[in-house]
Amino acid sequence: MKRSIPTFPVSWQAIFSLAMYGFMYGPILVLAVYSFNDSERYTSVWRGFSLRWYETLFQDQRIFQALQDTLVVAFVAVGIASVVGTLMAIGLAKYRFPGKSLYRGVSYLPLIVPDIAIAVATLVFLASIAVPLSIWTIIAAHLVFCLAYVALVVSSRLNGLDPHLEEAALDLGANPAQALVKVLLPELMPAIVSGCLLAFVLSVDDLLISSFTAGSGANPLPIEIFSRIRTGVKPDMNALSVLLILTSGMIAALAEYLRYKGESR
Amino acid sequence: MRGNSVPRQRSLYSNQFRRLGPTRRRFLQGAAAALAGVTLANCQRNISDVQSGNGAGATDSAGAGSGTLHIYTWADYINDALAAEFTERTGINVVIDIYDSNETMLAKMQAGGGDAYSIIYPSDYMVQQMLELEMLTALDLSRLTGLENFLDQWQDPAYDPGNAHSLPFSWGTTGLLYNRDVVSGTPTDWDFLWDNQDSLARRMTLLDDVRETMGAVLKSLGYSYNSTDPDEIEEAYERLLELRPALASFMSFGYEDALLGGDLAIVMAFSVDAIAATLEDDRLEYIVPESGSSVWTDTMVIPTTAPNVDAAYAWMNYMLEPEIATKAVESLYFATPNAVSFDMLSDELKSNEDLFPSEEVLARCEGIAPVGDATDLYDEYWTRITSA
Amino acid sequence: MDASPSKPGVSKFGGQFWNKLQTLAGPLALLGPSGLWLVLFLVLPTLLILDISLVPGLRPGTVPGAYGFGNYSQVFNPFDPAFDPVYIQVIWRSIYYAAGTTCACLVLGFPVAYWLALMAPRRWRNLLVVAFVLPLWTSSLLRAYAWTSILRPTGLLNSLILWINGMVPGLEIPTQDWLYTRTAVLIGLTYSFLPYMVLILYASLEKLDRSLLEASADLGANPRQTFLKVTVPQSLPGIAAGCLLVFITSMGDFVVPTLLGGASSMTISRLIYNQFLGITRNWGLGSSLSMVLILAVSVAIALLLKYGDRSSVTET
Repeated sequence: MKRSIPTFPVSWQAIFSLAMYGFMYGPILVLAVYSFNDSERYTSVWRGFSLRWYETLFQDQRIFQALQDTLVVAFVAVGIASVVGTLMAIGLAKYRFPGKSLYRGVSYLPLIVPDIAIAVATLVFLASIAVPLSIWTIIAAHLVFCLAYVALVVSSRLNGLDPHLEEAALDLGANPAQALVKVLLPELMPAIVSGCLLAFVLSVDDLLISSFTAGSGANPLPIEIFSRIRTGVKPDMNALSVLLILTSGMIAALAEYLRYKGESR
Repeated sequence: MRGNSVPRQRSLYSNQFRRLGPTRRRFLQGAAAALAGVTLANCQRNISDVQSGNGAGATDSAGAGSGTLHIYTWADYINDALAAEFTERTGINVVIDIYDSNETMLAKMQAGGGDAYSIIYPSDYMVQQMLELEMLTALDLSRLTGLENFLDQWQDPAYDPGNAHSLPFSWGTTGLLYNRDVVSGTPTDWDFLWDNQDSLARRMTLLDDVRETMGAVLKSLGYSYNSTDPDEIEEAYERLLELRPALASFMSFGYEDALLGGDLAIVMAFSVDAIAATLEDDRLEYIVPESGSSVWTDTMVIPTTAPNVDAAYAWMNYMLEPEIATKAVESLYFATPNAVSFDMLSDELKSNEDLFPSEEVLARCEGIAPVGDATDLYDEYWTRITSA
Repeated sequence: MDASPSKPGVSKFGGQFWNKLQTLAGPLALLGPSGLWLVLFLVLPTLLILDISLVPGLRPGTVPGAYGFGNYSQVFNPFDPAFDPVYIQVIWRSIYYAAGTTCACLVLGFPVAYWLALMAPRRWRNLLVVAFVLPLWTSSLLRAYAWTSILRPTGLLNSLILWINGMVPGLEIPTQDWLYTRTAVLIGLTYSFLPYMVLILYASLEKLDRSLLEASADLGANPRQTFLKVTVPQSLPGIAAGCLLVFITSMGDFVVPTLLGGASSMTISRLIYNQFLGITRNWGLGSSLSMVLILAVSVAIALLLKYGDRSSVTET
């Protein structure tokens, strides 16, 4: 195809973009390189290759406990949100009712309102009804934004669906539940999965909401990392970040692959 | 045991909100009623969790019927070896969470985030404050052995007469830690920071701790660490404000790497961390400023919300053992109030002036005490200092 | 006004909720659970902090006073004896960070989005977009932490500067002392939010009607004219959406100012944090600051929904 934009072999935009890719990946690379640095303490001086920080990390019970808490929170919250959020998106697409835009607006609030405001509100609420903080209060608070993200992604997929699909199923004798499960759900699956992945990653990365709703004994990874960075207890954070980045990179790749498949359908 | 703690927690908040007036009460009751189902389920889950350990801790509990002990402490007060030996002896698992100032610990406890902790390590003045807030359990001293080993001045401390609610665990000073290679000259007093704020610009930090930092500035002006005079406090605020542009940050912990690497030159530090750092690297030096500083005692207490109180007593008894206390001092470098364990220390540590300062140095220092209504004033100026 | 977050409407919503309960089963099954959860953990808590923000100086463990606007007037009313200019200063600083981040993200992000949408090889395009956004999927704490090791005085940035100075005789780039300064916060925030900006701009530029570009060229416009007269106006809604999104998220960010900002970068979210889990424990004041933040963000969103391109927001 012909374009009026002059296409030199290498345009300045391409070079600039390359620099920006460098900007995005530079800090991550720095962490990765220093995670192999053989030094007693955290310094920017290179002291040779070593896997000692990875060894330290793998012997660290606290990190694994924290990781476990994080995963429990994320899986439970996202698991519930995948069902409830999908139902919400379908409900919002299907029905017209007074106050619908308000409902939709409220459901999008968690995407917009800063975490700190939501975290504070949840803390005050939980304190006022005297619910002891625990891992369940973290899950409850995470469910709010997980719900919102799942519903958002599913909604945008629903907009692109043929509205007559479900009607056809009903005409052919399916009951509403069957129509939902057999016809609508398979169509929505890619969106549900990518919404869940998005919610999962946000839940795993959340510091503020967890900090305000975590009881003692429930200590998700971001809280542990934050406290270690601030108190400088152990310098094996570099190794941890490399592992986390690899893992979430793989999840991200999976998510994008699913989204790609969903779009090309 | 946790079953007892939950209603107590509830009354803390409902009392507090009951005073808010009828409309709000109704609102809260409505909210509570709406949530009753959910809440109930949560509570039950919590309670059942506790019986097999607690929350997340449930997974790593030994299941020997002794459960898990949750401890909330300063960053440098327990190491893995100490905790492991305790677990080996008693079968009780230890889960440690850390805080970086008395005030953040209090905030977390008051926000309801600390109900799983059976042992906390507040400093002396915070013990007083928590006592006023009725947050501490009166200790059953008959369940504790080795109390007679405390040095005289901790047998009946002013902050908690008769050690009725708290056990002294450690003591130390607050001072300046610096890197000899980076700092030119020899700091001897707080004034050094002001005198060298150009050459050391953004190479120094103060503690992220309202009472310690405000107190140090008060002391440098010749006032008491515990001044309640608004004029004196304001003067200290003005003086701190002068120094602020030259500060890199307010941090209580985690400066060691930066100090060794030369990113920082001089930091205000607790002696515990400072001594560990000086012993690790010769370039670092710790001083207690000449115009005086604070001498603090950190304690072990059992909060009223504590589950597994038996484990808490087991931990206290464990830490009271002279051998254990000695081991702790040798690896963590705090001064011990335990006379027997002091005698067991190596001569090298005993004669470490940073660890056990001379009487003359201690005479210049003051303990931090609650300042009553002036607390608000301190907080207000602290907010201004950290926000400006 | 689709997503109006206005508070007074919420009680009306509650009434409708119960009406629906009596009349409709289907919608209730679909919308009930999420509605219940949103009311419990979003609407009620927000109303509660609105309520608490009207009690001056409410602290846990103390007897609260009567209702009043003390918390707000302490922040905004210069005639109040308790007025402290520091709060407005903090709010301005947060706005300054947010605005600076937004500008930086736009300036850095637009060429990248432009290249991705209009110039990058078509078959690699999706992959390239994913690659740019990938760092977003990693821990934001650790990414901010990475910058501390780059920006510290003996860190990588200065090592690099010294190395360049050594390689090129006569060149004397001064070393920088950026950690714990505003520059560090701006760098960190820009780094955190650049992918969002690129994503939104890309979505908007990709939809650009290419025949318009060609028509413009056919009519004799040079590339610069085409860019200014066609490309930019066409992607304006996307630019607006991207800017607002970055503005809002960076204004509420907590991690970057905390880790990179040091003593000189109190922001509104750090201040709120301190009122609850920090030293001050003034829940009343914290709630009022929180309401101010929510209000500011809501106004920004309302503006976006009114004047911006709705689809480009919902797509991200």
